[in-house]
Amino acid sequence: MSDIEIVEDDVSLIVPIIDEAGSPKVRVRRRGRVTKWLAIGWLTFIVVSAIGANSLPYINHSCDQFESKLDCSTALNGSLKKIELPPTWAFFADPPKEPVGGGATHVGIMGTDRNGYDIFARAMLGARPSLTIAGLAITFGLAIATILGMIAGYFRGWVDVLIENITNVLLAFPALLLVIFCVTFFTDNTQSAASARPLWPIILALVIVSIPPLTRLVRANTISYAQRDFVVAARSLGAKGSRIMFKEILPNIVPALVSFALTGLALLIVAEGALAFLGLSVEAPTPTWGKMISAGTERLRNDVWWISLMPALTMFLTVLSINLLGDVLSQRFNTREAIA
Amino acid sequence: MRYVLRRLAQTILVVVLVTLLTSAALRFMPNATEVLVAAKTGPGATKEQAEAVIKDLGLDKPFYVQYFSWMKDFVTGEWGNTFQTNQTIASEVKRALPISVFLMIYGQLLALSAAVPVAVWSAYRQNSRFDRMSATTAFGMLSLPNYIVAPVLMLLFSVQRRWVPYPSIYSGLWDDPVAHLKAFVLPSITIALPLFAGYMRLLRADMIGTLQSEFITTARAKGVSTRNILFRHALRPSLFSLVTATAVNVGALMGGVVIVEQFFLLNGMGRLTVESIFRREFPTVQYCVAILALIYVSINLFVDMIYAWIDPRVRAGRALG
Repeated sequence: MSDIEIVEDDVSLIVPIIDEAGSPKVRVRRRGRVTKWLAIGWLTFIVVSAIGANSLPYINHSCDQFESKLDCSTALNGSLKKIELPPTWAFFADPPKEPVGGGATHVGIMGTDRNGYDIFARAMLGARPSLTIAGLAITFGLAIATILGMIAGYFRGWVDVLIENITNVLLAFPALLLVIFCVTFFTDNTQSAASARPLWPIILALVIVSIPPLTRLVRANTISYAQRDFVVAARSLGAKGSRIMFKEILPNIVPALVSFALTGLALLIVAEGALAFLGLSVEAPTPTWGKMISAGTERLRNDVWWISLMPALTMFLTVLSINLLGDVLSQRFNTREAIA
Repeated sequence: MRYVLRRLAQTILVVVLVTLLTSAALRFMPNATEVLVAAKTGPGATKEQAEAVIKDLGLDKPFYVQYFSWMKDFVTGEWGNTFQTNQTIASEVKRALPISVFLMIYGQLLALSAAVPVAVWSAYRQNSRFDRMSATTAFGMLSLPNYIVAPVLMLLFSVQRRWVPYPSIYSGLWDDPVAHLKAFVLPSITIALPLFAGYMRLLRADMIGTLQSEFITTARAKGVSTRNILFRHALRPSLFSLVTATAVNVGALMGGVVIVEQFFLLNGMGRLTVESIFRREFPTVQYCVAILALIYVSINLFVDMIYAWIDPRVRAGRALG
């Protein structure tokens, strides 16, 4: 990761860009472009493989693909020889047991797990629930938070106190507990088929937890502009509150909003993983990153690291790429603003 | 003074609302009564048993009566027993709370002590090699969930090198300091990494803003040394976001590090609450949430008070309105 260079981060856009002109900037831009394309490339790769995960050229990543249980178990027996084999590039790692009946000791780009499933294929399959849930949740969360935060930050007074108190109440619950609580609250008592656990409670829970911190951030950003000269000028010219909010302040906080959205997306992918880690995300047959990581930790003590760390790496790179893009995007906005 | 009183009233209101919300949610959960009865007596309870439980927990009374009697119990400290272990809830909390507090303090200390100097220097030498490297590192850390860091640390320091035991075995700070620190070192590092990254970035950004203010130019013109400019003149007015974030995290870390607690098998507040949710021991959940909320809002109150100390502009603003 050492070649990734992040030079400006999102908040530096409060600072005027003028003093950053000159030759160092050109160099910086070029590096940023490379990492940007790496990030975009990785995310494209993940999305495409997630969509096409079922037709990946790897065996037995899930029983979903089989017509009957019998087919699945036959295929499983065929791959029993390949249990817990390290990835091909990991020459330094030994499988815990010799593969039955000889054959390769290293398999695939991420190795195989306890059931002989190919970890790479399962990791791609696991991208589906993570990305869907986090993406939907941040969209709703940010939309609500922007409105609340700008109203609170611009009008102040009793509205601010009211919104602040609501966010305070929600923030007073530790976020993860609140999510767990919401998920249990909405799913527990349906008692329907375990595999049919709906997605919406998880999404709703994540929306609820993402609103308070986002509202606070938007509010703080609004406040930092609310007393600026151009706002004061607009007000003294007789502009209405809504006009000032949407025409004067919103354009200024949009870059911040975009970076919040991407950071939030990354955080929610992580949060969804945390739920999965605690066994609260989507149910059994579907693999998720969190579940794969947590299932693998049992084997860590025997130095079988790839079962846990390979999905972890996948998730890390995804989250990192999203964060990077957030950064790049905020730079882009920043530049435009400076030109205009 | 009026401001302090108003904030105090606000704080109490938040606690009341949080507990009210929790009670209501637990009470009006679909099939709440059946779930509770099943949790208390185990599956297949007879009708008499069920009625006894309902009576015992006061589930037959209207909601507001239940809430007020719960409030009374909470304030007087008569919290009753847990379903499973049949110990008092108070003793369970008393056992869990210190673990959470230690974890939170160690994590915060590690994160802050690293973040402040790094951020100050990064802001001062913006776009330098050091700045870029620390930004890159922080960036990576922010993308690392604790359930990835924890297994990696465990693999490196408990499996491949047997430096610290896994799972962590808690012992009191004064009983056995070495074992105590050994139990907390990996969990604390796990918690501190993302905190460090967050704090570093917040402070750096605010610091860059501050360093461009006129009073810094003035100070520089007067010939104040760099160190004094950075740590005396510029640090204080840049602390706003950092202090807020630290405070928010105190509350969040008390109950929110369930995963770390779970992974290292430390029985902190987060684990107690989550296990209680999973076991449907709603009384325990209610008390845990109330305590966590109380801690959270008191710290927020405290921080609001010190804002005035950090930044005289706030004091002036409050005096005006």
